[in-house]
Amino acid sequence: MLYFIGLGLSNEKDITVAGLEIVKNASRVYLEAYTSILMIETEKLEEFYGRPVIVADREMVESSADEILAGSDTSDIAFLVVGDPYGATTHTDLLLRARELGIPTRNIHNASIMNAIGACGLQLYNFGQTVSMVFFLDNWKPSSYYDRIKENREIGLHTLVLLDIKVKEQSLENMARGRKIYEPPRYMTVAQCCQQMLETEEERGEKVYTPKSLAVGVSRLGSEDQKIVAGTLEQLAEADLGKPLHSVVLLGKRVHELEIDFIREFAIDKDIFNAAYEAEYGEHST
Amino acid sequence: MVNFTVAEIRELMDRTTNVRNMSVIAHVDHGKSTLTDSLVQRAGIISSKVAGEARFTDTRQDEQDRGITIKSTAISLFAEMDPEDCKDIKQTTNGHTFLVNLIDSPGHVDFSSEVTAALRVTDGSLVVVDCVSGVCVQTETVLRQALGERIKPVVIINKVDRALLELQVSKEDLYQSFARTVESVNVIIATYYDKALGDVQVYPEKGTIAFGSGLHGWAFTVRQFAGRYAKKFGVDKTKMMERLWGDSFFNPKTKKWTKIATHEGKALERSFNMFILDPIFKIFSAIMNFKKEETTTLLEKLEITLKGEEKDLEGKPLLKVVMKKFLPAADALLEMIVLHLPSPVTAQRYRAETLYEGPIDDECGVGIRDCDPKGPLMLYVSKMVPTSDKGRFYAFGRVFSGTVRSGLKVRIQGPNYVPGKKDDLFVKAIQRTILMMGRYIEPIDDVPAGNICGLVGVDQFLLKSGTLTTLETAHNMKVMKFSVSPVVQVAVEVKNANDLPKLVEGLKRLSKSDPCVLTFISESGEHIVAGAGELHLEICLKDLEEDHAGIPLKVSPPVVSYRETVSRERKETDEPALSKSPNKHNRLYVIAEPLSEEVSRDIESGKIGPRDDFKARARILADEHGWDVTDARKIWCFGPDTTGANLLVDTTKAVQYLNEIKDSVVSGFQWATREGPLAEEPMRSIRFSLMDVTLHADAIHRGGGQIIPTARRVLYAATLRAEPQLLEPVYLVEIQVPEQAMGGIYGVLTRRRGHVFSEEQRPGTPLFNVKAYLPVNESFGFTADLRSNTGGQAFPQSVFDHWQILPGGSPMDVTTKPGQVVQDMRKRKGIKLGAPDVNEYYDKL
Repeated sequence: MLYFIGLGLSNEKDITVAGLEIVKNASRVYLEAYTSILMIETEKLEEFYGRPVIVADREMVESSADEILAGSDTSDIAFLVVGDPYGATTHTDLLLRARELGIPTRNIHNASIMNAIGACGLQLYNFGQTVSMVFFLDNWKPSSYYDRIKENREIGLHTLVLLDIKVKEQSLENMARGRKIYEPPRYMTVAQCCQQMLETEEERGEKVYTPKSLAVGVSRLGSEDQKIVAGTLEQLAEADLGKPLHSVVLLGKRVHELEIDFIREFAIDKDIFNAAYEAEYGEHST
Repeated sequence: MVNFTVAEIRELMDRTTNVRNMSVIAHVDHGKSTLTDSLVQRAGIISSKVAGEARFTDTRQDEQDRGITIKSTAISLFAEMDPEDCKDIKQTTNGHTFLVNLIDSPGHVDFSSEVTAALRVTDGSLVVVDCVSGVCVQTETVLRQALGERIKPVVIINKVDRALLELQVSKEDLYQSFARTVESVNVIIATYYDKALGDVQVYPEKGTIAFGSGLHGWAFTVRQFAGRYAKKFGVDKTKMMERLWGDSFFNPKTKKWTKIATHEGKALERSFNMFILDPIFKIFSAIMNFKKEETTTLLEKLEITLKGEEKDLEGKPLLKVVMKKFLPAADALLEMIVLHLPSPVTAQRYRAETLYEGPIDDECGVGIRDCDPKGPLMLYVSKMVPTSDKGRFYAFGRVFSGTVRSGLKVRIQGPNYVPGKKDDLFVKAIQRTILMMGRYIEPIDDVPAGNICGLVGVDQFLLKSGTLTTLETAHNMKVMKFSVSPVVQVAVEVKNANDLPKLVEGLKRLSKSDPCVLTFISESGEHIVAGAGELHLEICLKDLEEDHAGIPLKVSPPVVSYRETVSRERKETDEPALSKSPNKHNRLYVIAEPLSEEVSRDIESGKIGPRDDFKARARILADEHGWDVTDARKIWCFGPDTTGANLLVDTTKAVQYLNEIKDSVVSGFQWATREGPLAEEPMRSIRFSLMDVTLHADAIHRGGGQIIPTARRVLYAATLRAEPQLLEPVYLVEIQVPEQAMGGIYGVLTRRRGHVFSEEQRPGTPLFNVKAYLPVNESFGFTADLRSNTGGQAFPQSVFDHWQILPGGSPMDVTTKPGQVVQDMRKRKGIKLGAPDVNEYYDKL
């Protein structure tokens, strides 16, 4: 049996009891470590689980899936994913392969940014499509997320923006040379995301949002030192939310008054917040 | 020699209409450097200390030893013309003194990249043709290069003394031989006719051809003789010139000129033979047959006076002295150069559009077109010349617009610079500007447009060549296209491990000092040096060992570089190759098919290129090569190195976000075409069509890390599915050989997979001109082999000609010859042995 087990958001203790039992008894345990990260060291996990854990980087999951699957028809293999197993679409391929080989699978769910974001005070019902923001390069600034946001904004929904992380990425040159030299890990910040969003708006100019549009930035959600700030995009573009991981929510026009009351508490500057709210969202709030 | 101060030369530079920048080009051993010497001795500027030294422009010891030119060298000449003659100049001039900047270039094909670099900075060329061997393969190559750069030629038929002394030809035979040579030169010129340059065919009766002997230091043009006879006959000089060449006869009885060769049944003597060749033949026969009296009367008649000890000479030495006084070579050549070659002002008007990458009507374009010393600086550095200070170089180039001076802050734009970007760009001050004269340099304050100069302090910022400008919006000057490519390579290693850093530094310097040589580190960690041919490599390695690195080296046997291509034409029913990205969310579909040889050649010669306007390019592809116009407009890129002869064409329909992955696909394409799937050799002549693409909706899942390797894999899969082949480089070999030694040639060629495709006798000589194709791979030791099989009588010249499919079967099958070659390369490069497997790259749906 292949188990996909969600680890939750913060530390080793977020795993569910069901998940922990499987981990303790499985013959091999893999930890997927590139779509997201926990805020603790792997050693701490091993100590808590009382067993060794194999760290599976992108290369292993994408290129040596067979290795992971080996033996899972006769014994139990656990595949640990930070957050919820299906938070990212990335692992459907592993599941499909297992299915092809006739290996039974089971999922142990857990909290993910996709539901925990409710903590910022915006209601999950009011969210539209989730988008992700990549690190822009000089000549590569994909703006397809902008179209998604546009669709969301047209029907007044919030947009959750997931931020790129680069763990164990090769530089182009090293990739071409086939050298396994990896760049230092990089995590996008709320500020960087908002700057990029404003850059795209400037370039596309379709007025999907403005520097005065309201957004919420969260960091280390679910951990003890989680941080939530609300403000306009231009304010957030300057904000410092500390260590990774970060996420951003861009408010939709259909924002409920209750939601506003909730996030006003996180405002960087309440006056600016209120003014921005009145200007852009006021007439829609009932 | 003329003794000039720098200030005087500087003054000449300002009169741009009286400047002539020219190069001397020819087949090897046709006598360029010897001829140049006669010019230098007479009109060379500066350094009287070295006057008379042989082969002034062959500055290197090995050049003197081997008797061939390896590096091109520039010298300046001063010419003072008869004001009468200046009236015949068909362009604006100012006074009757002229500055001629002459570049002597190598004739051996292996060094023709030096010729390219020389041609770029000149406007005219003196083509030297051996009167006995005639137009040879390299004559054609350099002439073609010159015409491609819009450089106007004049011709000298050299070594006429050989025809007279060794072959003892008659006057009419000599005339016929001249006429044939002139015709073959004109055939080549006509083939590469360029409307902007106009008709540049050469005609003796117009004075654009000279005849002479560099060794004996004499030469003449029909114009000079016409000048002498015009007075005598009381006819106009121009008319006289026409009468002295071609089917024109003088009837001494009727004293009339006629076009008919007979008069009352008696043959008439051709006027060229009668008035020009006759006196020369008379001198030769009188002196060589030791007829003292006859000689004396002749000398009196020709008003030649001998001085002191010259009177005691006889035989050949006397002949030399007499001929030199009768028809000094420098006079004929300088007259031809000054009268018929364009000044920078004239030449840049029509050359500007072929020189400048940007729009011709922008500030720089106009500056170049008008050769304006007050315009923005546009200077093209065509090569690097080593200085006595080890590891440093002078940048050698020409000012096309503006004025360059010491201390000027300039933008140094390398070949990969794109306007508006910061890649390959440095902003630095020029430390010093210098004049380069053979092996001497002289500092000079500034150099105005239209002149050639050297620069100190920019060598660190340019690899081999580049553009210097003062204007921020300036585009690059066009990059030079070389007619040779580095197809032969060796691996070098140090004998003492401690010397490795010196080798690395030495390789860097070598790469800078030669326009053509390539140095790089192979996958398996070997240091590779690649050159145009055996001789070129030999010289490069010698320089590396003795000069640039200065350490003992171990050199591997030479190997040829191959290209990977496909041979299977595309069919309607072809299924595209598919590869999925590592996360399996993105799929690329591609078909590979052969690109036609004509298109590949057009790309390699620069006729079709990545920087062309895409509509104009599509027109050429559609009209001349039968492409579909829609496809032709959707060429994404060329590769490898963004200029190679492989194309990626987007034939997808309505794929969303395609533009967001274009850069990644292009990077994958550059990578794949640089290292093909068979043995990591570059690809050539493949057209890839991107058929379809499916992408993940979210950009985070289709970044470079996902798409680049996938693009590479799908191109490999497509290549392997389209019957891959290896291409091997083939030389065109031209061999001059006497009839009795012909048999030996065929034997040697057959053993080496070569074949003869043309065999012609040089009329009037026992020499045969044999042309053959010979795979480069079989050419190592060919020259020595040929000499030993023909008793040393055959002289081959090899020049890279084309790529051909390596025969013997599929390279995918390890039992065939190509298969074996692939295995050897894989072994050498440290790639997994065995046939490349398409399933490594091809993903099932």
